[in-house]
Amino acid sequence: MTARRYIGRAVPRPDAPDKAAGRALYIHDLARPGMLYGKVKFSEHAHARILRIDTSAAERVRGVRAVLTAWNTPELRFGFLRDNLALKRDKVRQFRDEVAAVAAVDPDAAAEAVERIRVEYEPLPGVFSPEEALREGAPLVHETDPQGRPRRDNRVPLRFHHESGDLAAAERASRYVVAGTFSTPRIQQSCMGTAGCIAEFDRRGHLTMWAKTQIPFLAQRDFARALADIGLGDRDVRVVVPTLGGGFGSGLDTHAYEYLAILLAWKTGRPVKIVYTREEEFACLSPRQCAVTRIAQGCDAEGRLTFRRVEVLQDNGAYTSWGATYPSVMMVPVTSLYKVPAVYFDAQLAYTNNTYCQAMRGYGNPEVNWAIESNLDDLARAAGIDPLELRLRNCNEPGEVTPMGLKVGTCGLRECLERTAARLGWRERRAARDGTAGAEPAKRRGIGLASLCHVGGSGRIYRSDASGVVLRLDDFGFVHVLYGGVEMGQGLHSVLTLAVAEALGVRPEKVVIGPTDTANCPWDVGTHASRGAFMACTTVLRAADALRRRIFDLARTVFPAEAEEALRRHRKRNPDDRPPEFDVAAAAARTGAFDLRDGVLFLRDAPPEPWLRLDLARFLRAVHFREGGEMLSAEAFVDPPTQLPDFERGFGNLSAAYAYGTQGAEVEVDLETGEVRVLRLVAVHDVGAVLNAQTLAGQMYGALAQGLGYALYEEVLSEGGRILNPDFRDYKLPTAHEMGMPIELEFVEPNEPAGPFGAKGVGEPGLVPTAPAIANAICDAVGVRLHDLPLRPERVLEALRKRGG
Amino acid sequence: MTPRKTGRRSAPGPRVSARGRRPESGAAARASGSRPAASAPGTTPVRFVVNGAEAEVAARPSDRLLDILRGPLGLTGTKEGCGAGECGACTVLVDGRPVNACLFPALEADGRAVTTIEGLGGPAGELSDVQRAFVECGAIQCGFCSPGMILAATALLAEHPDPTDGQIRDALVGNLCRCTGYVQIVEAVRAAAARRRTAGGAR
Amino acid sequence: MTAFSYHRPTTLPEAWRLLAAHPGAVLLAGGTDLLVRIRAREIRPPAVVSLRRIPVLAGATVERGGGLRIGAATPVADLLRHPAVVRRYPLLAQALRVMASPQIRNVATLGGNLCNASPCADTAPPLLAYEARVVLERARGRRELPLETFFLGPGETARRPGEILTAVRLPAPPPGARVLFHKQRRVHLDLALASVAVLLQFRGSTCRRARIAAGSVGPTPLRLREVERLIEGRVVTPELAAQAGALAARSVSPIDDLRATAAWRRTIVEVRLRRAILELAGLSPEGGAS
Repeated sequence: MTARRYIGRAVPRPDAPDKAAGRALYIHDLARPGMLYGKVKFSEHAHARILRIDTSAAERVRGVRAVLTAWNTPELRFGFLRDNLALKRDKVRQFRDEVAAVAAVDPDAAAEAVERIRVEYEPLPGVFSPEEALREGAPLVHETDPQGRPRRDNRVPLRFHHESGDLAAAERASRYVVAGTFSTPRIQQSCMGTAGCIAEFDRRGHLTMWAKTQIPFLAQRDFARALADIGLGDRDVRVVVPTLGGGFGSGLDTHAYEYLAILLAWKTGRPVKIVYTREEEFACLSPRQCAVTRIAQGCDAEGRLTFRRVEVLQDNGAYTSWGATYPSVMMVPVTSLYKVPAVYFDAQLAYTNNTYCQAMRGYGNPEVNWAIESNLDDLARAAGIDPLELRLRNCNEPGEVTPMGLKVGTCGLRECLERTAARLGWRERRAARDGTAGAEPAKRRGIGLASLCHVGGSGRIYRSDASGVVLRLDDFGFVHVLYGGVEMGQGLHSVLTLAVAEALGVRPEKVVIGPTDTANCPWDVGTHASRGAFMACTTVLRAADALRRRIFDLARTVFPAEAEEALRRHRKRNPDDRPPEFDVAAAAARTGAFDLRDGVLFLRDAPPEPWLRLDLARFLRAVHFREGGEMLSAEAFVDPPTQLPDFERGFGNLSAAYAYGTQGAEVEVDLETGEVRVLRLVAVHDVGAVLNAQTLAGQMYGALAQGLGYALYEEVLSEGGRILNPDFRDYKLPTAHEMGMPIELEFVEPNEPAGPFGAKGVGEPGLVPTAPAIANAICDAVGVRLHDLPLRPERVLEALRKRGG
Repeated sequence: MTPRKTGRRSAPGPRVSARGRRPESGAAARASGSRPAASAPGTTPVRFVVNGAEAEVAARPSDRLLDILRGPLGLTGTKEGCGAGECGACTVLVDGRPVNACLFPALEADGRAVTTIEGLGGPAGELSDVQRAFVECGAIQCGFCSPGMILAATALLAEHPDPTDGQIRDALVGNLCRCTGYVQIVEAVRAAAARRRTAGGAR
Repeated sequence: MTAFSYHRPTTLPEAWRLLAAHPGAVLLAGGTDLLVRIRAREIRPPAVVSLRRIPVLAGATVERGGGLRIGAATPVADLLRHPAVVRRYPLLAQALRVMASPQIRNVATLGGNLCNASPCADTAPPLLAYEARVVLERARGRRELPLETFFLGPGETARRPGEILTAVRLPAPPPGARVLFHKQRRVHLDLALASVAVLLQFRGSTCRRARIAAGSVGPTPLRLREVERLIEGRVVTPELAAQAGALAARSVSPIDDLRATAAWRRTIVEVRLRRAILELAGLSPEGGAS
């Protein structure tokens, strides 16, 4: 392999200029001729029987074209367990339940109509925590399952379990055991562009959905099922993905508002757009799941881990999304972060009358990582071993097979730990012992670190884990790329562009990424599990290889004639030039004669004469415009060698590669106010190999900001199922100032053989260990262990007082 | 600024008071000029300068500057992120100063000069130096906050050609970004400032 | 959208006429709060009277006697560019700099911030410490009130129907006063969870005059007179500062809400006031956990 020309460098993104110019079109910016505006009437109770819905006043509002309730529409069931309905008929189970929907000629009329819908309810007692929900005799959120069979309790019928090693013996053999209970809050993905869609039927009944989704093809399947329920089972569904104003997991499910747009469009015969306001986004779009994790870990006298026991209780909310399968990813760190010979893992999910939750970046990993890495520091303390040493002693190794059956390929964890420690000045600082004085006497400083492992080579959570790509060459030397994965801001199109340029041998400016559209792109399972870049590059490598072969094959006949013609032209222009003799036909006939680089086709062994360098566009035209001419394209469809684990047993090689990383933090804690200031962040990640240094850094910085927000500020607050802070006024995201501390990034590149260009997926890892690294630094500074995120100053102060008192 | 109750807000959105809808679709075209301000009932004509060109729009009292920019004027580069002045995605310049277009009464734009993201570039659509720096420094991911962020940065550099790190962060504190962690954004502002200085003074 | 009429008078008499002609009309200064509330249908006024085009309401002028008159509809950002504000009323400038975002500061006005009467209004504590007065004018008559008596409760002021807050008047600043404003917030873009504004005038190490106010720790922004009395005329020591902090914590009446607990807000007032006094007195904070 020759030296890489594009992969690995820091290159600006192809979509950036239009975004900088305000020309990128998000769902908010799209409209269709005759389009109506839809709006949803949400429940006013967390749990209540619907007695009556009066829509008469709403129907009279000028400009209203349709008012839908469960009584005048077909029932549309959806969700991971199909336990949710687009419109609720008998009862509401959460504040955001959809009881009616309106379409009108403008947003004001739609809002006015929604305001005039009157619903009579019979309030029911609700359950607002998983503990409450699982108590004997608790009110049932769902009396029956989707098949109509009665339910006895609020358990979500999903089982995630893992046991390996002799746990009892390991516990007995442990010299030190430390247990703890850790909790993580609901947080909001907080995409800057809110959710929305446009549904439009053509006159044959085919549906086009412009959707803010990360799963165009699974969404297509969901919507097709909805059409079947409407009685349009044989119609086509096309999902088009506009520019996304962020994703972060919020687009991994289909949502009620999308089904409502479909119903409204079907009812009115006109395109219908629904876009959430920020407040609706906060109150009515599913946040990240919250979880309570009970953990115990043990080690022997030398600090070798003996066992890990983790039990997770998740508040599912009223319905079930893909996010309910967080435990499938939790198993990865629980079984496989550091070497643990005996592991017990069990996760339970309970239905409650809280807002139902969904996926967010990290997908279960940050929830358990918070517990594992916090508790590990406590174990180190109990054992009198330095936390870094404890981690190094149990560090994962390349080639290891973990208790879950994960086949670790490359593993740079040891280097990540060492590099983070070096940057923090760990050994010198920790030798100085427990916390150092801050800038003022009432402040103490400390350092801490935490690691992670995550899927880095896609992750099979569905029957197929595939992606596909089409590369189509045109007469002008452009490569048109059709890919079914979604650019949501992370830089997928940048990586696709570089991969095509690198693998095919064209300049990046000649790569054009087509719109994400199920009508044109090959099937793709979705942009999740940090698989975007990994799968994009994997498929591109394969398709580009096929294309190169075809090009070189054709070149044997086409190239010599073209070269001859070029030589003639060359001679005409440079009559004095005496080009060297070169037998083009003979050279072209040799195997492996050709190469293509930066859009120039040439013979490897030929002298560097301009007439022996054929512009790709010219070559393509020659291939096209001849007898029996052809246009070149190649498609690759790759289902990676990943296994769908048996989640009830907790076994299976979920991913083709695993990503590791360590983050470190230095903090200053105010002993009198409980405030925590992060003075410095260090993130050292095993990324396999760098694809685009600029977008990689962007992914990491952004993830760190989310990790910081998760650690210190963010929480969706609710009371009796009602969201209390549905706005940025009281849901606090870090601002530019909060991210003003020095941040050091470093990448470990073991060159993963299973990864394209040696790379692993790294979309999620950057936010996973941030919170425990900060909490461990707080513990180093002031000696208190915090168990609940976010680490609000009140909580820190309370812990300090408890310790002091 | 009193705490608000959590009542639901109506969907914001353009109301084309001058009637007639924009062409749209996947490649939604954009009306660059203004529409004649027919005095529809309940509307008042707003005459102002948008990106250097005079415009006249019929606006209702409840319309925000954001509504008339995105609606009748078709300038959809100005984004609505929250509708409450808390995220800065709708930042535009009014008489050179950054404001939240979602809080600015449309009728108050009368007689003012408004600059949106569409007005920053050169006549042939070339990007401004700040826009270019954002592109080159990787300061853009999903891009939804970018127009507002770029306008806030543009206003900063007009006032402080050589801003300190603190001044940059102060200037951007009203612009939320969920993708980038702000690091490359701050770098972009610094880079634009540095380039202006080496290019010999402000534009 | 609820329909309302929108008026843009250019003189005060015109504004008063409009107020009289439209009962229930509301005044709009910056509008950063009002328009959102109207669109959210929290309030449904029949008419809005904008004060943004009345020249007499904009700008700040130094008065005879050394005080400052600030037009009520002056945007906060303009005040921060005003040399008299920045040099002579640094406590106000400190608060204005951390108020909301640059975008809001370019539009929001001093008068609007006060008339909203939010307990967390950033401009209120420093203005209380400067013993500012507000000027209320109506078609016939004008009155001036100490700002302290202007606030009646959350969202409630002494402004009567038909009255317009036209100006805020600050007396000449105490010479040589040392000042410190602290705003406790979750992130940099935030409302005050608690705030303290401290103005101390010293002769040697003796505090001759103390003006102390706090925000977000009661139904209105509060002036802490008891605390002022405690330290005035005394040599500032770490002990005195601690006593002042403790007394302040006892004198405020914060609530629990989703932003912070009442108990923590008291702690913040105690700690931040103590530290401010020490810093202004040139003593290094003694620190240490309780």
